[in-house]
Amino acid sequence: MKRLSLFTTCLIILVGSWVFLEFVVGGLISVPIPGSVVAMYMGLVIIAILVHISVEDSLFQEFLRPIHETLVDDRRRLRRRVIAVLIPIFLLGYTYSIIAQRANPPGSPRDAHPSPPLELTYKDEVIGAMQDVVNPFRHYEKDDPEAFKAHVENGRRVYHQNCFPCHGDHLDGQGHFASYLQPLPANFQDPGIIPNFQESFFFWRIAKGGPGLPAAGTPWDSAMPVWEDHLTKEEIWDVILFLSDYTGYQFRTFGEAH
Amino acid sequence: MRNKNVVSLLILVLGTLGILALTHAQNAPEASEKGKEVYEQSCAHCHGTEGRGDGAAAENLLPQPRDFTRGLYKIRSTESGELPTDQDLFDIITEGMPGSSMPGWETALSANERWEVVAYIKTFHSGFKEREAPPREISLEGKIPFSEESVEIGKGLYTELGCVECHGNVGRGDGTSAPTLTDAWNFQTWPANLTQGWTYRGGSDTEDIFKRFIGGIAGSPMPAFEGDSFLHFGLTSEESKRLTELENMDEMTEADEEASNQFYEKMDEAVNIALNRVEGVELSAAEQQLYDNAMKVVYEKSWHLANYVKSLMPEERPEPAIGNNVLRSQYIQGELPTIDDAAWETSEARYFPLVGQIVVEPRQFNPTIDAVNVKSFYNDTEVVFLFIWDDRTYTTGDETDETTGKPLEDALAVQFPVKVPQGPTAPKPYFLGGGRLPVYLWHWKASAPEQVTELTAKGINAAEVQEVQADLQVKSTYTDGQYKLWVKRALKTEDKKDLQLESGVFVPIAFSAWDGSNGDIDTKRTITSWYTFVLEPVPSSRRFIYPPLIAILSFGLLVGLRAAVQRRNSVS
Repeated sequence: MKRLSLFTTCLIILVGSWVFLEFVVGGLISVPIPGSVVAMYMGLVIIAILVHISVEDSLFQEFLRPIHETLVDDRRRLRRRVIAVLIPIFLLGYTYSIIAQRANPPGSPRDAHPSPPLELTYKDEVIGAMQDVVNPFRHYEKDDPEAFKAHVENGRRVYHQNCFPCHGDHLDGQGHFASYLQPLPANFQDPGIIPNFQESFFFWRIAKGGPGLPAAGTPWDSAMPVWEDHLTKEEIWDVILFLSDYTGYQFRTFGEAH
Repeated sequence: MRNKNVVSLLILVLGTLGILALTHAQNAPEASEKGKEVYEQSCAHCHGTEGRGDGAAAENLLPQPRDFTRGLYKIRSTESGELPTDQDLFDIITEGMPGSSMPGWETALSANERWEVVAYIKTFHSGFKEREAPPREISLEGKIPFSEESVEIGKGLYTELGCVECHGNVGRGDGTSAPTLTDAWNFQTWPANLTQGWTYRGGSDTEDIFKRFIGGIAGSPMPAFEGDSFLHFGLTSEESKRLTELENMDEMTEADEEASNQFYEKMDEAVNIALNRVEGVELSAAEQQLYDNAMKVVYEKSWHLANYVKSLMPEERPEPAIGNNVLRSQYIQGELPTIDDAAWETSEARYFPLVGQIVVEPRQFNPTIDAVNVKSFYNDTEVVFLFIWDDRTYTTGDETDETTGKPLEDALAVQFPVKVPQGPTAPKPYFLGGGRLPVYLWHWKASAPEQVTELTAKGINAAEVQEVQADLQVKSTYTDGQYKLWVKRALKTEDKKDLQLESGVFVPIAFSAWDGSNGDIDTKRTITSWYTFVLEPVPSSRRFIYPPLIAILSFGLLVGLRAAVQRRNSVS
């Protein structure tokens, strides 16, 4: 078998690296890699190739030889003509596709869980510092299981009379109104939701709803109602108990860490 | 010795397993504790702990959650009057019921849990325990494949059977009886909009549709196709054709009269056999044969009708206008199309699904309008929109709302921000209002079909009619359960409270729709959150200049390079 020329080897390395980044790493192994990152890695590969071929003069001449031959050698006439046609056609198509591209709407950068205010309020009444407020009925879980059950049951009722059209029967954010809301309703079955937040954070999100979000949370897009207009404080705390009871996830707590 | 031990151990194990299997089989019809537990955790909030369909969520739901105690099941693979099979119940639990609030439980519950729930649900109605024979299932044999001829026959049957009365001329559920229908529990119920396959409770495959025909939808006004549903039950299609000819004759000979009487007798006999069969009378072999032949015709017709119904719907629910699927207004030179212009056919509508407004009282938990479809064109000075939406009833405010005393009527509102936010992080007005930024609205009402009012609002309950009304041109039609609203406005107006439009700028857009006959009024309505629309820029003419230029340049470069190399070679 004929040995590959240095130029062909370099070309294969270059194309191979791109295929590897784009389709193997960014497809088979992981999610697609952003174009800018791919460009950076490809830049590194090109620099490495340039360094390699410019170490010795003879190596550089060897690298240039096929290019040289293609350009002037009569034995390479066919290849020369094919390349002289292909390169302009490729550039023609590429520039056309860039110029004729339809503009797409800008994406909305949205923080799904923006920082809450320092104080937790219900309507205008201050309940306490966001960090410190605990669910006033949570202690029944240990102290009075019967009372706790009654609160969970009340929460279940509140949930199914108010929340389930969007957040779903199974609390998975797939209620019958949910599919076309943007942003999508929260999925409480997601292990990254309940365990990452204090109950006071949930109280804030429920009581103030979409309009109560800071700008980072794009309040103008959220369909979450301001529930303090519809529900009592007790009902909100009860529905929070129901969320953890149904899903089996524990809310994040502070002060009990070892 | 050792082998013997192994054998006896095997026997012991297998024996135990066998006994276990037997006891399980015997217990199967009885509800297990597990079934009750799953039911109470996942089903009772709608269907009630006693299975009466009266759970906490029920009052806000239409269709209402099923009351299991009456044994009326809508979606069955069994014949009319029969209870469903266990598999039917399992399938509904697994897949849910599209168009209702019943979700599919495939991921939330294991198959085993779903079977346990099936067993538990059956305890709510004694009929399951009492039935002796397995239910008669609908045979899907002899399915007639989809073809234009079959659709054409089905179309004729659609009228013959009176489907039009409820489902309307083209199937949008807008028949004359549509607003009067109630189910077995006296709740209002709407006939299916047959053009929206994604709302069919039991699925929209041709087989599903066929089963609804033969089995009916128990508890709803949708009847099963019984013996006398179709014209001339008991006759073959040739006989039926001949009878129609006879009936249309001006004068009959004695022989003709004789022949038609024979046909009537044959039909009476077939109907009697069918009635006996429903009442459980044992049929003789000859009777059974006669019945089977008669039903064969019914089945055939039902397949044709199913093919016709299937032809009324798109294959899938349209993709919503999210992401790159935004509403793009197309540029045209000269006059913009009028409401009935053929130019609209060339443009694909964008689909904006509506949901009930449940943020502000009064709320709408049971919306009847599925979506608004929108098309748009613009020229150098004006923009025109065509809004299309299905509404089963034409309501123009003849009746008033009990609480507010306001007229109940169909309406549509289109919402834009007054000022387009600059950049993706810039604040938008809250989509239901209530923020600091105002929105600009077009409000159309069915009672004033050629008028759109411009409003400014800072909240869903704080809309004000603008003092200066721009010169909006408006036309609208209501045909066969579908509204079309045509609105034309100048791109720019003098009014600072109006949205000013510019080509290439992405503008937030949202919709509200009211169905008067569904009690929609004020905030009780269907809504969308923000979507996007853009006056699609005219593609730059540069696209014909730069690419060829670059191609020629690159070719020149290659030629130049070759020349340079050649020159250097000759020098050296």
